[in-house]
Amino acid sequence: MLTCDEYLTPATLADAFAAMAAHRGRYRIVAGATDTLPWAREGRAGDVHIPVLIDVAKIPELNERHVDERRVRLGAATAIQRFLDDAALARALPALPRCAVWFADDQIRAQATIGGNIVNASPAADVNPCLIAHEAVVEIVSASGKRTLPLHDFLLGPGKTALKEGELLTAIECDALPGYGGSFEKVGHRRSLVISLACLAFSVRLDADGRVIEDARIGLAGVCPVPVRLRSVEGFLRGKKLSEELLEEAADMPLDLVQSRTRQEYRRDILRGFMMRGLITAAKRAGADPAVLSSELEAAYV
Amino acid sequence: MSDLAFSAIVNGRKISRTAKPSQRLLDFIRDDLNLTGNKEGCGAGECGTCSVFVDGVLMKSCLLPVAKVQGARIDTIESLAKTGELSVLQKAFHKAGASQCGYCIPGMVMAATAALRINPFADREEIKERLGGNICRCTGYQKIFDAVELARDVQNGHLPVTMLDGIDAEQGDYIGKNVSRIDAPSKVSGRLKYAGDMLMPDMLHVHVLRSPHAHAKILSIDTSAAEAMEGVEGVITCADVPGEDGFGVFVHDQPVMARDKVRYVGEAVAAVAAEDPVLARQAAAAIKVVYEPLPALFNAEDALKPGAPVIHDYAPDNVTKHIPIRVGDVEKGFAESDLVIEEHYDTQAIEHAYLEPEAGLAYVDHDGVVVVISPSQNITHHRHMLAKIIAKPIAKVRFIMSPVGGGFGGKEDMIYQGMLALLAMKTGRPVRLVFTREESIASTAKRHPSKTTLRMGFMRDGRIRAVAFKMISDGGAYGLSTEGVMRKAAILGAGPYVIPNLQMDTIGVYTNNTPSGAFRSFGALQTQFATETHLDIACERLGLDPFEIRRINMMRDGATTHTKQKLKSVSIGRVLDAAEKASGWEKGVSGQRYGRGDLGGEGLRPAVALGARFAADTKQEAAE
Ligand SMILES: Cc1cc2nc3c(=O)[nH]c(=O)nc-3n(C[C@H](O)[C@H](O)[C@H](O)COP(=O)(O)OP(=O)(O)OC[C@H]3O[C@@H](n4cnc5c(N)ncnc54)[C@H](O)[C@@H]3O)c2cc1C
Repeated sequence: MLTCDEYLTPATLADAFAAMAAHRGRYRIVAGATDTLPWAREGRAGDVHIPVLIDVAKIPELNERHVDERRVRLGAATAIQRFLDDAALARALPALPRCAVWFADDQIRAQATIGGNIVNASPAADVNPCLIAHEAVVEIVSASGKRTLPLHDFLLGPGKTALKEGELLTAIECDALPGYGGSFEKVGHRRSLVISLACLAFSVRLDADGRVIEDARIGLAGVCPVPVRLRSVEGFLRGKKLSEELLEEAADMPLDLVQSRTRQEYRRDILRGFMMRGLITAAKRAGADPAVLSSELEAAYV
Repeated sequence: MSDLAFSAIVNGRKISRTAKPSQRLLDFIRDDLNLTGNKEGCGAGECGTCSVFVDGVLMKSCLLPVAKVQGARIDTIESLAKTGELSVLQKAFHKAGASQCGYCIPGMVMAATAALRINPFADREEIKERLGGNICRCTGYQKIFDAVELARDVQNGHLPVTMLDGIDAEQGDYIGKNVSRIDAPSKVSGRLKYAGDMLMPDMLHVHVLRSPHAHAKILSIDTSAAEAMEGVEGVITCADVPGEDGFGVFVHDQPVMARDKVRYVGEAVAAVAAEDPVLARQAAAAIKVVYEPLPALFNAEDALKPGAPVIHDYAPDNVTKHIPIRVGDVEKGFAESDLVIEEHYDTQAIEHAYLEPEAGLAYVDHDGVVVVISPSQNITHHRHMLAKIIAKPIAKVRFIMSPVGGGFGGKEDMIYQGMLALLAMKTGRPVRLVFTREESIASTAKRHPSKTTLRMGFMRDGRIRAVAFKMISDGGAYGLSTEGVMRKAAILGAGPYVIPNLQMDTIGVYTNNTPSGAFRSFGALQTQFATETHLDIACERLGLDPFEIRRINMMRDGATTHTKQKLKSVSIGRVLDAAEKASGWEKGVSGQRYGRGDLGGEGLRPAVALGARFAADTKQEAAE
């Protein structure tokens, strides 16, 4: 059970920093609270008393949303559900709506934030592999200034980030990839409300004929301490002609990345299958020439 | 502590109250507003019994600090049938028989309401998808989906409103007859009060201190710091038990709270009654218990080894109950057999996972009668046991069964009612205890894990000649229902087959695991899993169709079982015929026609199809 003496809901960033300064060492930030509340229960942290909870979910700067053809800027308190109901976001971040349908359930998505997903730094966090593949940079603000860090440098390990006392994650900036086909593959014990055993985010752009892979972005999580971008696979695919053999070869490449303590063999199997399915689906959505991806291939994997 | 000045529009009414800063929306609506229709099933966002609308968006109120919804419009299950008239969806849930224990139903109705508001034409797949955050343990969901589809069609005018009327009474009395559930309206509306929803004036809240050790001697318990806390009205340990301290469905080997030693992680050691639940938790944490850890046993085979640590003094061999049955001469039977097959079968512990965590109230009435209200599946037996424990004549003990939010056997044990009675007696005030989900899982009975060695001798034509069946079951730290489960296992385990030579041993064993107890099928599942699987294996070896081998061996009308029961009529023949027909069974030897797809057989899909495709994805596609 989580108990506190005070629950503060600052209306502005300045109020938030004032509260953080006033309660230095005695506060904790919450956004959606969907990680924090279940954490303070038996079997995990148990009963926890935090003198002051500071809720940043309603601060306007943390709810910004800006999308253009090249970059996306999202306030840290953006709820996961926005990837499903904001068409401009879905267009710029093609893998994210597909990630969002797999994220918790309708109810929690309305509350859970991207900032919370990032700062909680679970190896199984679903949003992180998507953002990593979009070259995301996090913006960190404290009362005395602002700094930015690539997301992959911000995430240090399970539950560990580069965030320091007195700092807030305010926004994420990342590449907009309109015109890419996106896909997201995830497996866990059931369909809803499930922690990823493995998950993969794909964004693929093809040439006008739908035959050559011009760019591919792939993020992987759930099987290693921090999410990784599969740069070598991306490099291998870039500029090549789309073919069954090419995808099969690419699918074998990341299997050694599986470092989980449990169910390694299963995770490797699933990773290979997901590589195929994710690439095929993303390519299709990017307008792949139907002649290139045979219906047998699709029947086998999709 | 600075309280919050909180205001919101709840079910259409403006309310302004002070709220505690740590309160969740769920606590506020249930405890402060006494709107108990929405439940707490898990407290961690997993089950959906607490789903409410916040500004029209469905959310889980157990995950929402109340301060987050300052000024919001909140609608609970009570908002749907405010005038007493059920909503279309609620009527459809009633009509379709979608409510069973009813505990998940208020949340489920809310989720279904949200689904049809978002898409009034949602198909079954989308309905499933949108109800994904809500768990039901009783129904298997089909009737719930039927109900939502029925409501959708009525709302859209595709079906007449009369489809929501009660079902016509059918003539006759037979199994499978359709009856209208008389308790459904109270369940779909959230009006039914489960024990955890009940209040009494002046009521105290109970919290239980539980053992962190699997096996340890209790050297001392110091409750003084807890007792000194303001607002703590009573603390009890085993020293407060005035009578014979023991309960269990067969042997009374479990004390109300641990006495001298603890035998499993989660065992009750002491309990506190205080003015509010948070204070009760804090007081329990202030009780100091000194333990001396003892070597612990975590599986039944180790417990049976000579020299193993002894868990209960009365059972130096750690055997809770051994049921041996002998018919004919098995060794001779095996010698006569054409084929002898031996295999091992294991089953694991299983949690009942009813949506309603254990809860109960107790008070001493004006006549000095100790009254316990709880969703107990065995109140008469509890009453007799409690009378001995509290040393009162039976007329001074009363048990009232509150609605059971799912039991499946898991609520047969008197695991907490004794503590409630003792605290009501000690404080002179009504007391209430509501388990957390974690507490429920840690402290209550599980299905018996089992390890079976099964040897069967067959004649070439498929007739069973001899069976040697030995099941060792992990009964956990206390007896609970183990003896009965072993008996049932021995009676039913060999199946409805004629077996001339039989040796059956079912052995329940004490370990330091969570106690095992009653669970649907009561020992038949574990044993029949072994027997029926064994018959399938025999079919492959003998070249027989699985239905055939069962017909060859089945008992017939007038048969006498190995436990000497005479069976006037035996229905297995009819059951086999019906199952064969209904399944569209293709005759033949099992295991030789198809590979198992999920095990990587030939020509099969790679490991990828597990995260099934879902309608939302197609819809996403359509939107682009
Ligand atoms: C039933 C259930 C199902 C779930 N399913 C999924 C799932 O499918 N996939 C998945 O990835 N996750 C899942 N989660 C986990 C959780 O919902 C997500 O990680 C969510 O994104 C966390 O965001 P939040 O805003 O609710 O976090 P909070 O609990 O508010 O915060 C989490 C952590 O981040 C810190 N924090 C939050 N915002 C900031 C900020 N702006 N600056 C600094 N620190 C900050 C907090 O201090 C805290 O340490 C699930 C959770 C539950 C309860």
